[in-house]
Amino acid sequence: MSSKQPSTALTSRQRLAVVVVAAAVVGAVLAPSVYAATNDPDDTVAVVEIEGPVNTALAEDVESELADIRANDSVGAVVLKIDTPGGAPVASERMYKAVQRTSEQMTVIASVQSISASGGYYAMAPADEIYVLPTSTVGSIGLNAPAPRSTAPVYGPSGPDKAGSNEIQRWAEQQTLADTFVDAMMAEREEEFQMPREEVAKADVYLGTEAVENGFADEIGSLNEAIHAAATEENLGEYRVDTRETGPDGGLPFLLRTDTQVVAVHANDPGYADVKPMGLTYVHLPAVPHVDTVERFSESDLKVDGGEAATGATGNETAQSTGGVGA
Amino acid sequence: MSDIRTLAVAFVVTLAAITGGAAVTGFVTADGAAPAPEIQNEHYVDGDAVANDTPGRATVEMESTARSQTVLVDPGIDSSGGVAASPLALLGLGSPGVADRDIRPLANALIENGHEIGVYVPGATQPRRAAGPGSGGAETRLGERLADADAFVTFRTDYDEAELSAIEEFVDSGGRVIVATEPDAAFDQPGAVGLDSTLEVTTEPGYVYNMEENDLNYQRVYAEPTGGSGAALTEGVDRAVLPSATPVGTATGGGDVLRPIEGSELSTTRASTEAPLLVRSDGVVMVGDSDFLSPENAARADNDALIGNLADFLVAGGQATPTAGPTPTAPSGNQTAPSGNQTAPSGSQEPPENQTTG
Repeated sequence: MSSKQPSTALTSRQRLAVVVVAAAVVGAVLAPSVYAATNDPDDTVAVVEIEGPVNTALAEDVESELADIRANDSVGAVVLKIDTPGGAPVASERMYKAVQRTSEQMTVIASVQSISASGGYYAMAPADEIYVLPTSTVGSIGLNAPAPRSTAPVYGPSGPDKAGSNEIQRWAEQQTLADTFVDAMMAEREEEFQMPREEVAKADVYLGTEAVENGFADEIGSLNEAIHAAATEENLGEYRVDTRETGPDGGLPFLLRTDTQVVAVHANDPGYADVKPMGLTYVHLPAVPHVDTVERFSESDLKVDGGEAATGATGNETAQSTGGVGA
Repeated sequence: MSDIRTLAVAFVVTLAAITGGAAVTGFVTADGAAPAPEIQNEHYVDGDAVANDTPGRATVEMESTARSQTVLVDPGIDSSGGVAASPLALLGLGSPGVADRDIRPLANALIENGHEIGVYVPGATQPRRAAGPGSGGAETRLGERLADADAFVTFRTDYDEAELSAIEEFVDSGGRVIVATEPDAAFDQPGAVGLDSTLEVTTEPGYVYNMEENDLNYQRVYAEPTGGSGAALTEGVDRAVLPSATPVGTATGGGDVLRPIEGSELSTTRASTEAPLLVRSDGVVMVGDSDFLSPENAARADNDALIGNLADFLVAGGQATPTAGPTPTAPSGNQTAPSGNQTAPSGSQEPPENQTTG
């Protein structure tokens, strides 16, 4: 009887078909992972953005990113994408040290966008090479500070320097601060600079075309060319680019200057608490707008048809801010 | 039993393989940062990294033994009813004038040597225009004050025509004048050329700086004596510090007393300059800086000696007027004409109408 019944055993061809189908299903599941594993290069060029005024928040982010990069074996080279007029001295020094340490470990190339001046230049100086665009601005190696002046005595503090100061001692402090900056730049790029220290200390800025001639920069090139150069220097072959944004989530403060000092403004419609004076700065002053040039837009100033105040933003009448932002 | 042993061995081997593999994998793929060697930045710690911040000391002394003279000071403050022209001036910012303390080293030297000092500040109650008809009509209030003075020190350059006439008359009659200006006077004090023309001196736009050798800032330049006709003004002075100085000159040429040291440059040309920063033309001294007189700056380099010499210069003249009797020529003066002295007895001396503001 059993020999008369149709056999339930698979023929060898059927077994083969089942195996092929099963393999195809498993293969289809695994294929994306296998593709990604083979297609994704191990080597990475990290692009660290340093943009906006140099301040503590930016410096902390840059330090953190560069520390992470140094600990990450898959990152073979770093490009600093820089666009800053400078800012606070200590923040500049923190980035300088972080870039210096990273540069000891792997190729670091700075790629200047529109400007890398003063504290921005300080931060990128330890890079192996500085790329600029023909009309980028670099330089401004020096301290921006108001002239120390003697002030009337303050009564109450526990010592003469607690709330007051001596004019000459303040001059000396400012000179020390400036020398610290200039000396560091001479240590980093003395061989590149085609000028003596005294000329560097004049704190001039140079366009990219001039900077590659006088040693303030090394190559004319875009960000992509800087990335390619960094990868080539490290023999990365196939590589991917990992862009790392820095700076606080809430947006960087913007800088304004008054007649006597630079202020950091932390809000679009700032109150006094949002405006922080910055007495001593590594900042290229012409790149910082003067407070009198900032126009302030407010709802009540916006009028339609020259009539009543409207809530729409179609008006074009603006009020000159003479005492508003940062004053 | 052998089955149990086999199973136990298999369990242990498998567990060891898995945990061991995990440990090796974790070690190999470790993502932490190894301790990095310290990077030495010698430029931060070398001996020259910190600027010398010792303020220094000043000893301003006069050699002159001249009789009591009256020195009128115009601090350049345009006081209107006691309120400074600019609110910033109250904070000591943006004011073109000098505060009382800024001229104390010079003033104290004069006071200690028995000389009188008056301060001229045109105010709302005493307008700068001509006084009443009884005083002659054309005479300005400044003219009145100058008529009672032997020397005039001014930090202002924007005088009107009548005042310039009074100053010219004062100089012609033997009065000594020191004009201390600033590089920025050309920006905020229109009319400086009028005073320059009256006194036959010149000022050059721009400021002098020195990147190679300076006193704690590129604008605080050292100046050295030229060794020329102004030797009396530079006695004991090897170097003076002039913060923010502008070049000055005399109409006739010569008369250079102090010039910037080698390596100094002019802001407008960015080229080296030897143009003098302090000149003397007979009874007029023009100096392209006013900050060097302050207590802090008097203690820098040989500024104290320079200030003492300027005090001697001020009291070495004295107006020669028909109504005044001759006075002994000052020992350190080099004015050839016998000098008169119109100074009234100090008891009747008109007190300053306004004191300088801080």
